[in-house]
Amino acid sequence: MTGDRKTPILELRNITKWFGREGDGILAVDDCTVKVKKGEFICVVGPSGCGKSTLLTIAAGLEKPTRGEVLVDGRPAGPPGPKRCVVFQKFALFPSETVAQNIKFGLQMTRVGAAEQEKRLAEQLAIMGLEQFRNAYPSELSGGMQQRVAIARALVMRPEILLMDEPFGALDAQTRTILQEEIQRLHKEQHYTVLFITHSVEEAVYLGERVIVMTRRPGRIKREIVLPRDVAWKQGDIEAAAEHPEFIAARREIWALVREEIVAR
Amino acid sequence: MRRFNASRAFLISLAACVGWVLLWAWVTGAGGPVSKLMFPSPEAVFHRFLRMWTRPYLGSTLSWHIYSSLSIVLAGWILGGIVGVPLGIAMAWWKKLKWIVFPVFQLLRPVPPLAWIPLTLVWMGIGDPARITVVFIAALVPWLMNSMQSVYSVDKLLIDAGRTLGANDRQILTRIVCRTALPTLVAGARIALGNAWTTLIAAELLAATAGLGYVALNASRMLDTDVLLVAMLLIGILGGLLSVAIQLATHVLAPWSLRQSGEE
Amino acid sequence: MRRKQSRWPNHGSEKIQATLYGIASLAVLLLLWIAATSLFGWIGARILPSPFAVISRFADLLIDPFGGSTLLGHASGSLERWSLGVVAAVLLGIPIGVSFAWMPWFRAVVNPVFEVLRYIPPFAWVPIAILWFGVSTMTQASVVFIAAFPAIVINSQLGVQQVDRILLNAARVYGAGSLKTLKRVVMPVAAPSIYTGIRIAISNGWMALVGAELVVGKNGLGFLISQGQNNDSVSTIFVGIISIGALGILIDTIVHRSEAILLPWRKKLAKAESS
Repeated sequence: MTGDRKTPILELRNITKWFGREGDGILAVDDCTVKVKKGEFICVVGPSGCGKSTLLTIAAGLEKPTRGEVLVDGRPAGPPGPKRCVVFQKFALFPSETVAQNIKFGLQMTRVGAAEQEKRLAEQLAIMGLEQFRNAYPSELSGGMQQRVAIARALVMRPEILLMDEPFGALDAQTRTILQEEIQRLHKEQHYTVLFITHSVEEAVYLGERVIVMTRRPGRIKREIVLPRDVAWKQGDIEAAAEHPEFIAARREIWALVREEIVAR
Repeated sequence: MRRFNASRAFLISLAACVGWVLLWAWVTGAGGPVSKLMFPSPEAVFHRFLRMWTRPYLGSTLSWHIYSSLSIVLAGWILGGIVGVPLGIAMAWWKKLKWIVFPVFQLLRPVPPLAWIPLTLVWMGIGDPARITVVFIAALVPWLMNSMQSVYSVDKLLIDAGRTLGANDRQILTRIVCRTALPTLVAGARIALGNAWTTLIAAELLAATAGLGYVALNASRMLDTDVLLVAMLLIGILGGLLSVAIQLATHVLAPWSLRQSGEE
Repeated sequence: MRRKQSRWPNHGSEKIQATLYGIASLAVLLLLWIAATSLFGWIGARILPSPFAVISRFADLLIDPFGGSTLLGHASGSLERWSLGVVAAVLLGIPIGVSFAWMPWFRAVVNPVFEVLRYIPPFAWVPIAILWFGVSTMTQASVVFIAAFPAIVINSQLGVQQVDRILLNAARVYGAGSLKTLKRVVMPVAAPSIYTGIRIAISNGWMALVGAELVVGKNGLGFLISQGQNNDSVSTIFVGIISIGALGILIDTIVHRSEAILLPWRKKLAKAESS
C-alpha cells in the first residue's frame, strides 16, 4: 500500500545533473525539486534544451543524477522499471514485434500469466482503438498509431507513475489534437499519475493541473502555476477550451514566462 | 536526369539483351572477327553445357563439379557464421572483449583471404579442408563486422524502453537487440556469401581436383573455350542465385524490415 | 552497453583503456608465438616459423633475390600492375557510372551486360585472361580492373542518383544546360560517393591482384608467396603475407586521408549540419 496521503508518489529532490565532469562539463539541470501527488497531472514546459527531458530520464531511472535523489513513495527509487513507465517522443516500439507483442512486452518481462496478458491486451486495444492493427508491425503504421501503441504498452502495465517525454512532438498537428483529448479523457477516467514534458504551452495548460516552468540551461524551476482541476473547459475538446478566458489567461502567463527564458541572455 | 518510365526501361533492356546475344553470335560466327579460340559462339556454349551433364570433363560430370563447389562454399560460409555471429555480438555487447579481440582482427584483416592458400596448402595439403579454411576466413570478416554493426545500430532508445518495461540485461540482449539486429545480420550473411563464393573460385584455381573454378582453369589451359565459358557463366549464375536465396530468406526471417506504411 | 554507461562517455579515459587492452592482447599473442616456436619448440619451424626467423627472412629478401627479384622488386611489380588496373577502372568506371544515372536509356541498354558480368567473381576471369593475354602484366591488370570496376560504377551511379532534385531544378531555373548542371552541380555533390567507390575498388583490386599473382605470373608479392610454398619456405610465405597486409593498410590510409584534401567541402558540410 502506498504511504500516507501527504507523501508525494514521486519526488525529485534537489536534482542536479552534470554531463561530463562535475564543474567541467555541461550543467543540464540545477537543483530542481518536483513533487508529484498521486493522481496528479503535472506538465513541465521550458525552452528547447532546458533540461526538461533530462529531468524525465532521471525520474525514470535511466540516468543517475549527479546530486539529489529520486523518491517513489518516500523511498529511494531503484532501477527503471514498469512502475515508472515511459512514453518516448520517438515511440521506441520494437520493430521486430507486432503491435500485440509490443504491448505485451512489459507483461512478459514481469512474468504476468498468459491469460491475464491476453485480458489486459484486449482492454488496451479497445481503449486505444487498435483492435484491427493487432498483428501489424510498427513500420506499417502511421506516427499517430505508433504512439498509440506506445501509450498502450505503458498503460497496460498499470504503472504507478506515467512519464511522458514530449510524446506528441513527432506527430502532425491534427493527430496531436486527437491524442491530447484522448489522454485527457483517459486521465479523467483512470486517474493516472502523470509527469508530462512538452514544449507546447497550450498542451500544458489543457492537460495539466500544475505547470512547472523551467529556465533555460542550466534548467532550474522558474515558477509553478497551479491550474484549476475539474473545470468545464477541460472536459471537452481542446478547441473549445482554447476559447475560454481562463485558458487564455493561463496560457498568456505561462508563455510570457517561457519567452523570458528564450530571449534572455 | 529525366525521369524514365520503369516499364519502358525494362522493354529496352529486354530488347538490348536480345541484341547483345545476336551481336555475340555474329562476332564469333563464321564471318565474324573473333576466332573460336578466343571466344566461343553462343551455340557452342549451349551445346557443350548440355553435353557436360552426361559426359565427364576432367574426371567428373558437371553436376559433380557444381556439387563440389557448392558444398565447399556452404561449409566455409556456415562455419564463418557459427564463429562470426556470436563473437561479433559478444564483442559489441561487452566492450572489454572488443578491446581484446579487435586489434588482432584488424591486424589480420588486410591480408586477402587468398593469400592464406599457400599456407593452408603447406599445413593441410591439397584437399577439402584447405579450401574450406580459406573460404571460412573470407566469410568470417563480413560476418563478424556485420554482427558487431548490427548490434551497434540498435537504437539505444529501444534499450531504454525495454528497461522501463522491466526487462533485465539478458532479456534486453535476446529479445530486443538480437531481434532488431536481424535484418542487418542477414545483409551481412549475404556479403559473407559473396566473399565466400569469390574466394572459393580462386581457391579452386589453385588447390582442387574438382569444381567450377578448376574446370575453368584447365579449360583455358587446354584452349577449350566453350567449356571455359560454360564454367564462367555457371559461376556467375550460381553466385547470383545464392545472393537471391538470402534475399528471400529475409522475407522469412525479418518480414517487418520490408514492410512499409502507406501513409506518412 | 551495460547500465553503467552514461550517455556522455568520458572520451579520454575510455580511449586510453581500449588502447592498453589492445596492446596487452597483441603482446600476449606475440609472447605465445615466441614461446611456441623458439622457446619451447611446440610447433615445428616448417609449420610456423618464429618471429625472429620471419624478421631475418625479411632482411634476406630485401637484399637477395628470390623467385626472380628482391622483396622490393616484387612489391613494386605488384603495385605497378595494381595501379594499371585501378586507373583503368577509374577512367572507365566513373563516366559509365555517371552516365548510368544521367542517361537512363544508356543504363537500360548496357545494364543487363553489366549485371551478368558483375556476378562473375574476378578470379573466374583469370583463366580467360590467361587465354587472351598469356602470362603478362595485362593478365593481372585486367583481373584488377574487373575487381575494381563494379564498385566504381555502382558508387558513381549512386552518387549522381542521390543528388537532390531541388538542386537540379534550381540549376534549370537559373539557366544551366544539361552538361553545365552535370559539371558544376551534380559532380561535386556526388564526389564523396564516388570517392567511397574508389576506396572500395582500390582494396578490391589489391585483393584480386594478389590472387591473380598466385595463379599466374613470374613476379609480385603473390608470386613470392607461391614460390615460398613451392620451396617449403614458410617464412617466405609469412614475409609475403605481412608485406601484402602492410601495403594494403598503407594504400587505404593514403586514400582515406587524401579525401580531406581533395574534397574539403565535405567536412565543412558535416560541421554545418551538426551545429
